Amino acid sequence: MATATRVLPAAHEWAVIDIGTATVGVAERDALGTSARVAAWPPYYLARVLAAVDAELARLDKEASRFRNDSEISAVHGSGVESHLLSEGLAEAIAVALAAAEWTGGLVDPTVGGALEALGYDRDFAAIPKGGGVPPGPSHVPGWRSVRLDGRRLRLAAGSRLDLGATAKGLGADRAASAAAEVSSDGGVLVSLGGDIAVAGEAPNGGWPLLIADEQEPASRAPAGGHHAVRDARRGAGQMVRLAAGGLATSSIVCRQWRRGDRMLHHIVDPRTGLPAAGPWRTVSVAAANCAEANAASTAAIVAGDQAAAWLAGQGLPARLVARDGTVQLVGGWPATDGGLVEAPAARRMPPGLRGGRHMRWAR
Amino acid sequence: MDQDYEERPGWVRLPGYEEAPYPRGASVRADGARRMRRASNWTAAALIAGVAAATGYFAHHQPPATAATSTVTSVPGGTAVNPQKPTLNGPVATSGGSGVTVTTGPGGVKTYHYRDN
Repeated sequence: MATATRVLPAAHEWAVIDIGTATVGVAERDALGTSARVAAWPPYYLARVLAAVDAELARLDKEASRFRNDSEISAVHGSGVESHLLSEGLAEAIAVALAAAEWTGGLVDPTVGGALEALGYDRDFAAIPKGGGVPPGPSHVPGWRSVRLDGRRLRLAAGSRLDLGATAKGLGADRAASAAAEVSSDGGVLVSLGGDIAVAGEAPNGGWPLLIADEQEPASRAPAGGHHAVRDARRGAGQMVRLAAGGLATSSIVCRQWRRGDRMLHHIVDPRTGLPAAGPWRTVSVAAANCAEANAASTAAIVAGDQAAAWLAGQGLPARLVARDGTVQLVGGWPATDGGLVEAPAARRMPPGLRGGRHMRWAR
Repeated sequence: MDQDYEERPGWVRLPGYEEAPYPRGASVRADGARRMRRASNWTAAALIAGVAAATGYFAHHQPPATAATSTVTSVPGGTAVNPQKPTLNGPVATSGGSGVTVTTGPGGVKTYHYRDN
């Protein structure tokens, strides 16, 4: 991957990325508090694919970002009432989050929003003070069963605050990939939102090559805010794999860290304690039928701790777990060799996003 | 114009008329016109079929914007390579949690790009 070479004339500034071949078009831009990367073939579909992705990202950001005062979820949080009639999109996003909670036995829980804010993650990560303050104590998490969703009707206890971080980026990648595939009928697309990846259409020969990065040092030790690069061959080499269908997501306690008092915090909260998960894994990558499911599973694995590998294997999900000491454990058929194909299961493991048998758009 | 060749009262056929090696005028003209119409019809049909076939072909086989640069002939698992699909050797995206990307430079040195947001 090389640096950006030109900028597409789009509503959002997508920088075209040169990956050393003209057979695939690749572009990247900031989105949803992280970076979005899109790959498409044939490359002449790229402009229309980016337009489709733009529309989906804008929709999700307006619906579910708790860092935007004008988002729909911020309006729900600030309304002071318990009953809400949601847009179709936010209802879907919350339904997926609740389905993930049910599937993981509550290890992934959208009602950790209040706990995250108590930890200091109440704004875009770049704006969080990386030090100072006092160590936070345990927070009460209302629990996902306290949320009632019936179609577009939401009942949320006053004071409860939702955080859809464990599923929303995955859902966004799924939505964007589906929309992009509709405008590139005889090709293939890949959408990555901060490393949560969904593919649709026809994959390149052998699948889309992906690098599974394995971070060893907290990003907070580097200058805060914006981009920075570190050249260091001693860092974890990671692994290159290939993905032909479905989704792949990685959750890590290393990338988003900040300090309160003498304690280093991260953004994956254990709903049982309201504090950052303290399990043995620093990074977990999972492949699943769609990216929302992969996203939920990788986050749940971080929280599940010692039980994670057995749970993932029981679900039949290919996964790569990296312990805090760097030990790598592969389960569910995750390839041991560099460049191996990760065969995501075709069937979903997570229950449908809405009760009553209604199938959601993301549920491919 | 066929009436130009009709026999009229008082006309006398030239000697050897019946032995003429060619058909008579009216029928010659009519046969020629029929042959031309048949030929034109076949030509038009062939052209229409050709244009339709070419349109269909190019609708489904758009030429690439640029020539493929990948030359790999095998992919992991030994699966057959579809020449109409790209074959990629390097990663197109990184999954590392929250916006980390990695590039590999000369000598295999990896550069980690962080997004602290």
